[in-house]
This record gives sequence, structure tokens and C-alpha cells, in this order.
Amino acid sequence: MRTVAASRPLHIVMVGWEWPPNHTGGLGVHSFEISKELTRLGHRITFLTPFGGPFTPVEGVTFRFPGGPPATTGTTPPAIDFPPAYWAGGTPDSPFMDATDGYNVWISLLEGLGPVDVVHVHDWFGTVGARALAQRLDVPLVMSVHSTEYDRSLGHPWQHILDREQVGIDAATRVIAVSRHLRQQIIDRYHADPGKMRVIYNAVRPSARLERIDPAKRVVLYVGRLAVMKGVDTYLRAAARIAAKFPDVLFVVAGEGPEYNHLVRLAAGLGVGDHVMFLGKVTEEERDLLLAGSSVFVLPSVVEPFGIAALEAMAAGVPTILSKTSGVAEVTSGAFTVDFWDADEFASRIAELLEYPTLRAAMGEQGRWEALREGWPERARETVGVYLEAMAARGRQP
Amino acid sequence: MKIVLYLHMHQPWRLARFRYLDLGSGRSYFDIERNLAIFRGIAERCYRPALDRLLHALETHEEFRLSLSITGTFVEQAKLAAPDVLDKVRALVATGRVSLLAETYYHSLAFLVPPPELSEEVRMHRDMLRAEFGVETKVLRMTELAYSDDLARFAESERFGGMLAEGWEGMLRGHPPTYRYCAAPAPTVMLLLRHYPLSDDVGFRFSSREWNEYPLTAEKYARWLGGTPGELIGLFMDFETFGEHHHASTGILEFLSALPEAVRREPHLGWATVEEAIRGPPRDTLSVPYTMSWADQNRDLGAWLGNDLQRSAFEAVKKVGIVVRETRDPAILTDWRKLLTSDHFYYMYVSGHGADQGVHQYFSSYDSPYDAYANYMNALSDLRRRALEKLGVPILK
Repeated sequence: MRTVAASRPLHIVMVGWEWPPNHTGGLGVHSFEISKELTRLGHRITFLTPFGGPFTPVEGVTFRFPGGPPATTGTTPPAIDFPPAYWAGGTPDSPFMDATDGYNVWISLLEGLGPVDVVHVHDWFGTVGARALAQRLDVPLVMSVHSTEYDRSLGHPWQHILDREQVGIDAATRVIAVSRHLRQQIIDRYHADPGKMRVIYNAVRPSARLERIDPAKRVVLYVGRLAVMKGVDTYLRAAARIAAKFPDVLFVVAGEGPEYNHLVRLAAGLGVGDHVMFLGKVTEEERDLLLAGSSVFVLPSVVEPFGIAALEAMAAGVPTILSKTSGVAEVTSGAFTVDFWDADEFASRIAELLEYPTLRAAMGEQGRWEALREGWPERARETVGVYLEAMAARGRQP
Repeated sequence: MKIVLYLHMHQPWRLARFRYLDLGSGRSYFDIERNLAIFRGIAERCYRPALDRLLHALETHEEFRLSLSITGTFVEQAKLAAPDVLDKVRALVATGRVSLLAETYYHSLAFLVPPPELSEEVRMHRDMLRAEFGVETKVLRMTELAYSDDLARFAESERFGGMLAEGWEGMLRGHPPTYRYCAAPAPTVMLLLRHYPLSDDVGFRFSSREWNEYPLTAEKYARWLGGTPGELIGLFMDFETFGEHHHASTGILEFLSALPEAVRREPHLGWATVEEAIRGPPRDTLSVPYTMSWADQNRDLGAWLGNDLQRSAFEAVKKVGIVVRETRDPAILTDWRKLLTSDHFYYMYVSGHGADQGVHQYFSSYDSPYDAYANYMNALSDLRRRALEKLGVPILK
């Protein structure tokens, strides 16, 4: 990836979705981290979101949302009321799609942005509005794809969402995918021109390595949404294979989602109700504490375009087991990789890490080094490189 | 000037994926079919064509000489996968101009575990060579060309007349590597040294297009050999150099075929087996107080025991060895010895970012050193459990 620096500060309109502290998935974290580093490089960002804050402030980032004035922190109630999406239990004909359409109309009519260099849209939420905005402002559109509807829906995609993804992929001058695996999928399924595809991986912030809470207590950890595509059932089946051999080990599930009830019942049915702890949603701070106290981190996803939770675990020095299909597996050689359906292999890998301290230490070190080798600053430089390419492709001078 | 061409033939018994959940299952640690499939592939690409060419060289050039070492695990696999490869070796030996060398039967780190493991394995290997090839060995090479004063004393106690070692400046202290030396603590043991620049020209650099001498022809190489001062040039390398490490399409087999004739045309060059080369007075004595090898930039045991994973696994296998010997169970002992094979530790090497990274990656049969370690430790834990069961010791946990 070429990383040409811009010769002057750019004004980027980022068409986003969530922003910390109110976020449920990796997209909010990504938007926050990449924006922070872009502003450090001297660029200015207007971040569009359908939600009304509060926003964790970043110097150089202005927030625009329906129903409120431009803000740098903001706590205005949202003008658009979002009913649950399918991943939170909604259905394709729920009013959720109407609400996102409202967001797109608002984007396309947005005024008062001043001179803009590039419009950068994340995933499908705002593609229709972003396309209209970029056309009106006569600037290039860049799209980042963090996951696709095929992946999120495990083979039962909503056509509405596929259409909106297609709009963005077709209209964008450059499309950024978070892994090579995802890049190929976008080419195969959405017929994207390979020449405009770029891969930029996610990264993690270096955090102080916290002391283990209780060195005698051993925790195997999963952190993430409880959705079918996350494969948490495989993790529970793996736990059931070895729980009896490791009575001192607690298998922790941190996160919330539509599969919650099913997973709790499954754990009970597998006879490991006592060995598995469901924590529900955890804050970032709680997650860091959990990581600090964990011996093993497991990411058993059936589908995982990137998997930033695993990179965060590695950055915390926790040896990690990934499904082979996860994007993060492309950037590490210091984690175990397992077929997502192979509960026995997950069980064996967990047991091996619990059993062999030398292995745990060596993998923890390697993972930490790999996760922190290239951070958000490098990713931001790569992103600027893509902006400049997109501008040059449209005959613009940076 | 005599050229001592010595080629090492070895295949390890690679482990199957032996999961933690497989402990106590009675499953074999070794994936025999996979090992044999690998062997058949290498036999096709390397052993058969290269052995044929060497036999032809011996038939057409009466001055040509060759030395080989063949591990016990290699012979076991060859018998099952490609017995004709052994017949081809027998045909070479029958010319009377090919020496075989002794070593550990399992290509193992036996020299680092308490006695009597090393002498037993070397005896096993000598017995095997006698039975399979009708040969008495006089020269010893240790696994990965390991050498030290202690190993020289061992060679003397086992009545070997010579040993091989790396011709590494670090221990030569200004002596040229192109002479016969003798071991300081064991003067009856002659040392033949590997000329590593000339050996690696063929072993490593031959097919490298970035090398400024590429392509290497037999004529050019023979000129280099002819221009080298001294009495002996030790060209020691893996047999798999010819057709496996370097694919046939690189011209390596043609190079091998053309070498005897190119050497014949050089006025001062001839050939010697290791047994011929150890005859004659030594130029000087050499002392090596630490263990040296032929691997990597440091020529030490770092490739096998350099990191925490490797040392932990090796300490564990050493410890299990004590219980294993107690059992006097041949099956348990054999599995333990197969786990002592040095290759398993090589797979656990965590690459830094230096020149040796690619070499280690190439030889590994695992995705990562962590895979290699976990799998090895599972097999070893299972073996320990079997040994304890045999001894009637209750297993904790």
C-alpha cells in the first residue's frame, strides 16, 4: 500500500453510523480511531451520523446529525427514531429501513459543509445519500466495506441492503476492504472492478498491559456480539469437551445479541452451565480488565470480515484462537487458526494453551508484537493514500 | 587436492495432528501414510534420479568417490514407500568406492540426553547398516553435524577413526578448513571439515537468481575447486539438494552429472571417500569446547534449542526419558526415540527476521512453531501417561 502524504490539509466528509461511546460493533471503533489519526495528520473531518450523541470528542472532528446543529460533543436527542434492525430482532419489513432511508435523504440535502475534498462512506447505511452528496459537491466518493450483507445474514440477505451496498460499490472511485478475503468477495459478489479495490486492515491502540487480576484464576474469553455468524455455539461445545478436565477454568461470554437466550439454554443443555459465565454487554474498560485476567481468547466466527476483538486480545498479550475464515488471520502468525465448525479442535487448542505455560507466554508475546506492529497511524496514512488516488482519478489536485 | 563429497539422506517420522483430546485414545502419534506419501514424492523427484546419476558417474569415472549417511528413520520409510531406493544405494555401495557413515539411528538429539542413549542409538545405526548394506562404518557424523570435544571422546570410545565437523572460522582459529585435523582430546579421531562456502554454493545458492554467480556450471565450479589451496575439500550437504531443495528444472541434476567430468579436466583435483580422507597425518589438533553445528548463521544448536518452546519441549522429553527407560517396553522406547528426532525441535523455531527465516519455513511441516510445540507436547504427555500406566504409577490430574 503506497502511503503518499497530502501536500495540504483535506476536508473529509465521513458518512458514518455509530460513534463512541454509543456503539455496538467494530464500525464505531474504526470510525473513531481512523478519524483521530486523520486529524493528527492535519486533516479535518465532518462526521455524519443518524444518532444524536453524546460523542466522544476528537479535535478536528465536527459531528452532523439530523435534527441538530453542528457539534463537537453533542447530546441532542436524535431526530430519527431507529427501530431494531434484523440483527437486533427486526424483520426486513420493519420500519428500520424507512429510518435509514430518512438518514440518506438528510445526507443528500446537507448544506453548509464548505469546501470538501472527498466523501468517505462506511458500509451500506449511507451509500445512497453519500453518492448524491459527492455528485452535488463534485468530489470523489470512497467507500469502506467492513462486512457485507451476505456475511452478516449467513446466507439470508435483505435485498434492500444488498442494493445499497451495490450503490456504494458502483459509485465509489475507490473501495477499501478490511481484509483480502473481503476484497475478493466484493469482486466476486458485487462485480467490483479489481482496479479500484484496496485493502486496509484494522488496527488496535497500544494499551498498557494490565496486571492479571488474579493469577490463580483462569479465564477463557469470548467478547463480541451474540449473533449466529459469531459461532459462539461452537465455543460452548468446545468448553463442554474440556470443562471437566479443567475445573478451575471459567469460560466467559461477554456481549449481547439475538442469540443470547439460545446460548444460555445451550450451555445448560451441554451440562456446562456452571463453567460458563454470560456477562452481557461490557464497557471498553471492563473488556480491558477481562483481557488482563484471561488466559485464552477465542474468536470462533463462522463469518468475520476482520475481527478486531481478536486483535485487541492479542495487543493485550492474550494468546488467541481464531477461525480460519476471519480476516484477522491474514495479519497474524502468532495465533492458532481452526476450522469454524471444528469444536474438538477449538477444545484441544484451548486445552493446550491452558496446559502449556511456555506456549501461552510465547504466543502472547508474538501476538502482542504483531498486533501493535502497525497501528492506526499507519492505517490513516494508507487511507489518505487512497483519498489522493481517488482525487487524482477524478482529476483533482490534492 | 581431494574432494570429499558427502551427502546426507534423512526423513523424519513427522507427527500427525495429535490433539489434546486425543490423549489416552491410543492413537498413533505418527501419520505413517502422510510420511510415506512425502517420501514417495521425494523419491520420484530426488532419490531415484540422483542415485541413478551417481551410479552412472561411478561407472564412467573410476576416480569418482562418494560418501553417504542414511538415517534409520529414512531406511524404515524407504522400505515401506520406495524399496528400490535402497537397492540403488546398495548398487552404489557395491562399486567399493562409496563410504557409509555412522550416526544416531533416529537423527536425534541423543548426544544431549544422559547415557546410554547416544551409544545405543549409534549401535542401532551401525547394526542397521551392517544388516542392510553389509558395511562396517569407521567415520561418525553427529546429527546436524554437531561436534564438540566431548563428542570426539565419544567417537574414540566407540572406536571411530574420524568425525565430521563444520569448517567454521570460529573454531578454526586461523587454520584453513582444507586439511585433516585431529581432535585435541582424542588424537585417534581425525576431523574432516565442511568447506561451507563451496558446499553452500551448491546446497543453498545454486538456484538463486539473485546470486551474482548464477547460473553455476559444473565447469565453473570445478575451476573454483581446483583453485582452492589445501589437501581436502569437504563438500557436505543434504542429499535432497539434488532435485528436492533445488527442483530438477533448475538444472541441478545435470550439474551433478557433469561434475565428475569437469573435475577430471582440472589438473590437480581428485576424489576421496571419508574413509580414505581420514588416512594420513593430521595437520594440527583442534579443540571445540562447546557444541557446534552446520546450521544457521551462528553454527550452534540455536536452530533446535534456541527458544523457550524448544528448550521446554526438550527438557520435557529428557524427563520423560527417565520413566520410559524404567518401563523396558520396546514400543514405548521406540516412540520416545522418534520424539527425540531433531526435526521436531527445528519446527518449533520462531523465526526472527534474519537470513535463516526462509530456510526454517521451508523445512517445517506445521503452520507455525506454536502448532509444532502444542502437538509435540500432546504426544509427549500421552507417552508419559503410557509409561506411568505401564509402571503402575497412579496418574495425577
